[in-house]
Parts: sequence; structure tokens; C-alpha cells
Amino acid sequence: MTIMMPAPDQAVLARRDAIVAALRAIVPGEGVIDSAAEMLPYESDGLMAYRQPPMVVVLPETTEQVSRVLKYCFEQGIKVVPRGSGTSLSGGALPLADGVLLGLGKFKRIREIDFDNRVVVTEPGVTNLAISQAVAHAGFYYAPDPSSQIACSIGGNIAENSGGVHCLKYGMTTNNVLGCEIVLISGEIIRIGGKSPETSGYDLMGIITGSEGLLGVVTEVTVRILQKPETARALMVGFAQVEAAGECVARIIGAGIIPGGMEMMDRPAIHAAEAFVHAGYPLDVDALLIIELDGPGIEVDELIKRVEAIAQGCGSTTCQISTSEMERNLFWAGRKAAFPAVGRISPDYLCMDGTIPRAALPQALARIRDLSEKYGLGVANVFHAGDGNLHPLILYDANKPGEMDKAEAFGADILRCCVELGGVLTGEHGVGIEKRDLMPEMFSDIDLNQQQRLKCAFDAQGLLNPGKVFPTLHRCAELGRVHVHGGKLAFPELPRF
Amino acid sequence: MDTLRVRDAKDVEQAVRAAIASEQPLEIIGHGSKRLIGQPMATNALLDLSALNAVTSYEPNELIITVEAGAPLADVLSLIDSKNQQFAFEPINTSVLLGTPNIGTVAGMISAGLAGPRRIKAGGARDHLLGAHAVSGFGDSFKAGGRVVKNVTGYDLCKLLAGSWGTLAVMTEVTLKVMPRPESERTLVLRGLDDVTANKAMTVALGSPFDVSGAAHVPGSALRGSASGLVGQLGDLASEGKAITLVRLEGITASVVHRAASLGQALAPFGRAEIVEDAASATIWSSVRDVQPFAANGALGAWPVWRIVCPPASGGALGQALARETGGDVIYDWGGGLIWAALPPKPDAQAGLVRARVDAAGGHAMLLRGSDEIRRAIDVFHPQKDGLAALGERVRHSFDPKNILNRGRMRRETAT
Repeated sequence: MTIMMPAPDQAVLARRDAIVAALRAIVPGEGVIDSAAEMLPYESDGLMAYRQPPMVVVLPETTEQVSRVLKYCFEQGIKVVPRGSGTSLSGGALPLADGVLLGLGKFKRIREIDFDNRVVVTEPGVTNLAISQAVAHAGFYYAPDPSSQIACSIGGNIAENSGGVHCLKYGMTTNNVLGCEIVLISGEIIRIGGKSPETSGYDLMGIITGSEGLLGVVTEVTVRILQKPETARALMVGFAQVEAAGECVARIIGAGIIPGGMEMMDRPAIHAAEAFVHAGYPLDVDALLIIELDGPGIEVDELIKRVEAIAQGCGSTTCQISTSEMERNLFWAGRKAAFPAVGRISPDYLCMDGTIPRAALPQALARIRDLSEKYGLGVANVFHAGDGNLHPLILYDANKPGEMDKAEAFGADILRCCVELGGVLTGEHGVGIEKRDLMPEMFSDIDLNQQQRLKCAFDAQGLLNPGKVFPTLHRCAELGRVHVHGGKLAFPELPRF
Repeated sequence: MDTLRVRDAKDVEQAVRAAIASEQPLEIIGHGSKRLIGQPMATNALLDLSALNAVTSYEPNELIITVEAGAPLADVLSLIDSKNQQFAFEPINTSVLLGTPNIGTVAGMISAGLAGPRRIKAGGARDHLLGAHAVSGFGDSFKAGGRVVKNVTGYDLCKLLAGSWGTLAVMTEVTLKVMPRPESERTLVLRGLDDVTANKAMTVALGSPFDVSGAAHVPGSALRGSASGLVGQLGDLASEGKAITLVRLEGITASVVHRAASLGQALAPFGRAEIVEDAASATIWSSVRDVQPFAANGALGAWPVWRIVCPPASGGALGQALARETGGDVIYDWGGGLIWAALPPKPDAQAGLVRARVDAAGGHAMLLRGSDEIRRAIDVFHPQKDGLAALGERVRHSFDPKNILNRGRMRRETAT
């Protein structure tokens, strides 16, 4: 499948040498990369099926440099694609042929740790995990934990509103960020929020989080940190049918228990994971739940008992309960290695990311099975069961002609099915280019126009990360036009008082 | 003034389109419980959403509820309570401070975005609005978010709608996250601490692993109405007008008992903590949430009330300075991150002084209660720096370019 990107601006490409020279005047030394070989690592992000060399890579080190680079691009009408660690699974950082790729990798410093206010102020290139590590000595951590947390940057987490296995209880990025410094495409530097629990005025932090690099470039972030729970234990429960596992999830939540994590795997995923990490997963079940309870020991022990009873009531066929950290980590090892494990049984796989209402799980899995037969491609399902976030892994071989197209069509059908069942296209990976053309499945033109008008408030020329998220680009002037319907209406239909 | 009682989203579209055509701004109301908040508006028609009052769907096991905008909050709270669930952000009942007869509608609660004590643990209204249908100032119905907890599809417009005081769009239906109500609760009570020391005690509690879900401090002088019984549970709790510092723990019984004991030890340097259980504890926190000591019908009922949000660890010093310099009273919530300040009446509610102190502490202050005259004279919402204010204005414009919806409620129109 080809994703149409905005046509390269030949006039910009013709000026490439002058542009590179101007950028070098702003970011000296090795901060500007323009040789084809050195730009190779920037050609794609975590969605590796799509590659595109940028016009030039710029790696600024200060907010002032970011501001001057953006101001220059703004004045010259040059497109800019921001990039953190490049782990996006939706192509959010895919370069443009006529665009500057603005890497924030040199913003690597944690600026302040404030235990009294329970916040960390950090530069955006710091990895998610490094924040937790920096505060671990005092018993604190940063809660959102996307599985790429060793590598992904906090700036990228803001762009994508990243989740993780613990977000049912502790929220996504948006629920854990208090403020930022952001540079608009005009070069203007704006501070939003800070150490206060709430921002003033409109919640711009809330709109910047998850905006996929379309609204501005974040150069500093203030995040909330939490005390680590005293203890965590996990149950690993097998079920003969997916329906029973789904029922178990519903009953746990219905009983008022919000586990720290609640993950489900289907038979193909269980087998792939077990063959890879030997975690002792039962192989004769159709669904496996890993349920983690965290908190004070006395609370965890009590909740483990309650969850075990609920699982039995739902007809669980196996149930193991971790008695040590080693065992708890072993339970998780298979789930955490599910993607590479699937990578061993198939030359390539495509990871999808829809969310559905939990109750629709059996229906969704049945539909996925049917689609798997229709397309003749295998699929393994891992699932953040607590919040309905599905990750079907579609197995294919890119070397077989047409198979990648088939896999993408299969994936698109799964996401359509998620929307039909009352869910959404993406739970945590973002729209990027991957789901861009599916946006009309979920949103009407009016919905999308309103979102794009908001974009106009930040970037009226559409220079920041164009071609991502929105299937059709509109001019801001056209979007901003108010249509007056029939002059003065007298509200003939409405009751008056 | 014209009142347009809309029956559905189509009616709302029609009303907004007519307002655009006639260039007549609309004031959007549910039950009108919060009309006394914000800059006074120059609108000459009311868009009344109270007839949009149905519960569209409630799925306790999915942890979501979808209601029409004008659904009465009191009814919805008792509905979810019947399934042992709650809005975890503990929305404030503003009728206590404002002296209005009812607590309003669900969309009103979201538009105001005023969260109670549990905000420090569970987040605010913005964290619990999962989806909405709304009519923009273009007169078009649009959808924001979805009906699932985990969703990053497109811009998160719900965050903007929460706390936007009806200035961006008219919500017609909202989907909210609900959470299980905790089985048990315990409140640790420390007595006689000054504001700065109490702030330190709350910082210790919030920095502990005991999962604190409320941390408030009520100085003795704020309880001056206690003799007349007007400050409710807080007055009964305080003896001899001594300050009380409150820390709440929630969860299953075994856990709260265990944590209360451990936290009591951690707080030992600040005194011996008494423990209040369950129903009595809940009453205390509803008084804190609704700022009962400054109630409209209480001793300080005629005083303007500021709502100040600041970095939590600087709250004690800020509040103490404000109380001293203005002769007013303060109450702290959110471990010091939220200060309610009732100040002796002055034509400007001492806005200059309040804002100077609050700016220096890195916070922001909004006048939650004040007469029409005061609210006309000052900026009710905290003035923002130029770049941020301009960006906010462009965002507002992107939803409502003709400034039809609640015109001027969040931003004072400069006199012409």
C-alpha cells in the first residue's frame, strides 16, 4: 500500500544548499546533517515499512536554537518533522523529502527533581525509563510505561500520549504531565503549566499531549512522579475459552478492583511466547490472563484472593500466583516478549492498536479469526484487557509479492471492526501515517475540520508534520469560514419562555 | 431576555446558527447553578440545555456513563452510587459557596472543571471526560474522543472542553469515566499546626507510599463560624478553634487500617494523629470539597472567594502571607496545591495583591465568588502572559470565530 504524502515543494528542494547553510549558521558543528549516508538512520521510525530520506537533519541543543530553526523554516515556507527517539509505531516521525527533520535527541538533561512537589522537570530527549531511574533512590517512579520505555523519549511520549500496561490504574501520559515549554512554528516560545496541579485558562497541555508533533516542538516537560507501591504480585490464569476470560475481566472490574495491569493473550500468542521465553505458560488454554495487583502487602494479598475466586467462578482451568519478584517477572516475561516472540514464528508482522469496549472482546476476536481466514494470514492477539486495547499481530512475509498489502488490508479491516463495535482506531500508538486514511471511519468531515481548525491556531501554514493524522489537508482560510444559514432565523421550532 | 429551550442537538445547531446570523451571543445554561462564576456576560439570549437530560447509557463494567448535557448531576451521582461507583475527581458542589438552589448538570460540572480533594490522586474533570458531542460556534455538531478509556485517535478535544466554561462549544452529550467507590476510608487528623508546618506534614504524607487521596488544612480562624454550627462537620471536629490538618486514605478495609497506622507513624513528628472512619470521614471531606467554612450562608458568606492553584509545597507560605496581608481566611486542599481564600470585601477583591503574591509563587488565581460589580471590575480568570493568552484566543477562535458562545465569560472585554 502506498501512503500519499504531500507533494515535495520543488522550489524548496532547489534551494537545499542555501537552506543547509542557513541552518548551519543557527546550529553549528555536527548539528546539521546533510549527507545521504549519515541521514540513513533518520529515514524511518518504528514503522519500518515506510522510509523516506529527509532533505536535511537538524539536531539543536538549546530552546533558542529550536526557536531560530523553526522561525527560519516558517519564514521560508519549509516543512518540519519533529522526532524524538524514533520509536513511533505509526510513522509519526516519517521524514518528508522536502522537509527538515528536527531531532530532539540532544535534549538529554533532567533539569530538576523536586520531591516536595513530586515533579521532575526534564528535557524532551530523556528516555521514559531514565526519569524513573533518576528518582528511584527516593522510592519514586514515573508511571506511564510504554513497552519501548528503555528507548522512547519523554518528548515522544507527549507527542503520542503513550500508554503502557499500567495505564488502567495510573493513566496515560496526559494524566501524568503538568506543563511544558513549547516552541511554535513561528519560533515563539510558550510556557504552559508547571509545578501547579492545574494549568490556567484552556487546557492547552491536554491538547498538545497526543498531537503527534503537529502543533509545536516541546523543549521542556514537567511530569508528575509517584511513590512506588509497596509490593506487586501477579496471577496467571488460563481459560478454555476467550469468552470466559473476557467475563473474568468484566467481573474483576465489576467487583471494584482496578488491577495495576491486566493483560490477555490468545492461543497463538501464548504458544509463541512460551517457545521463546519458557515462562511456564499453560499451552492447553485458549486465553491467558496476567493480572497484577499492587499496593500495600496486606491489600495485595486480600485482592489476590478475591481475584482468584472470581477467576474460578468464571471457570478458569489453571491459576498460578506469584510468590516472589522472580516469579512475577517470569509471568510478565512472556507477555513483554510477545512481539519478538511472534517475530520468531513469522518473517514479518504488523502490530495493530485498536480499542474496543471490553464487553465486545469475544465478538472482536471472532471477527479477527474470520478475517484471518479470509486473508489467509495468521494472527496472534495480545490485549490490554483492562482497558480494551487490542494488539493483534498480523503475520506475513514481506518477501512474498502482495503479502504486505494483504496484511495492511487485514489490519485496516480489524480497525474498522473496532470502530463498528463502539471502539476507536488507536489506543496508544497514534494515527501517524499508518491509520491516517482510516480517520473517516471514525470521524465525519465536520469532526475532522474542527480538529484541523485547532491545528490552524498553532500552525496556520501547515508546516509542522504535514501528511500525518489527517487524510485531507485544507487551507486554514477555507476552514475558518463561517457559513451564515439563511439570515436571521426566528427559531420557529423552539419553545420559548 | 429570550430563553431557547432546546430539545436535541439539532435544536442547538439551529439556535447557534441563528445566533451567528443575527450576531447575537448566547449564554449557555443547564440549571444556571454557576451563572455567578466568570466575567459578567453581555448576552441577550439564553440557550437552555436542561431538557437534554437523559442518561443515554450506563455500563458499570465498562466504567463509563453517557448522558445528555443537561442531565441533573444529583440524579447521575445517585445512579452511579447505586452501583458503588463515583466520579473519582470528586466534583465540587458549588451551591454551597454560591448559595444557589441546586448543584447543576453534568455538562456544567465538566465545563467548570472544578475537582475536589481527590484530584491529587485521580486527576480532574479533564481526566474523566472520554468523549463528547458538541456544537461549535460554526453551528456544526462535532464529536470529540470516544466511548472507551484508552484512545489517542486525533486531537484530544475533550481536554479543551473540560474547564472551558462553555466558551468553545455547546456540549450536547458527554461520556465520562466512572470508578469504583472505595470500600473504606480513614482520615488522620492532626491539630494545632500552623499553615507552613501543616504544609510540610501534607508533603510528607503525599511523598509516602501510602496512597493518600486527600490532604487538607483548615486554620483555626477559618472555623470562626463553628459556634453557630455553620461550618458543619469541620466545626464539630475542631475543638477550641484550633487548626485541623486532614489526610485521607481509601481502599479495602484491611489496607486502610494498615496504612493509617503506618502513616500515623510517619507523621509522628507533627503530633499524634486521631483517626476518623468511613461515614464520618466522608462528611469531613465533603465539607472540604465544598469549602463549607466559606459557605454563602455562613459567617464569611459575603466575602469574595479566590480559588488559587499553586505548586503544592509553596501553598502554606503563600496562604499564610495572603491571610496576613489581606485580613482574610484561607483553607488548603491538594496538599497545599489548592488554596481557597475568603477576603474582606473590597471593590477589587484585592486582586492586585492576590495576583502579585500568586504570580511570585508560580500559581494562578481565579475569583470564584464575587459580586457582579467586582467581577466586572477585575479579571476573574488569571491573566496569562501575552504569547499564551494569544494562543488561547486563537484556540477559542478556532471553535467560535464569531464569539457567539458565552462571549466574554473567561476574558474581560476591554472597555471601549
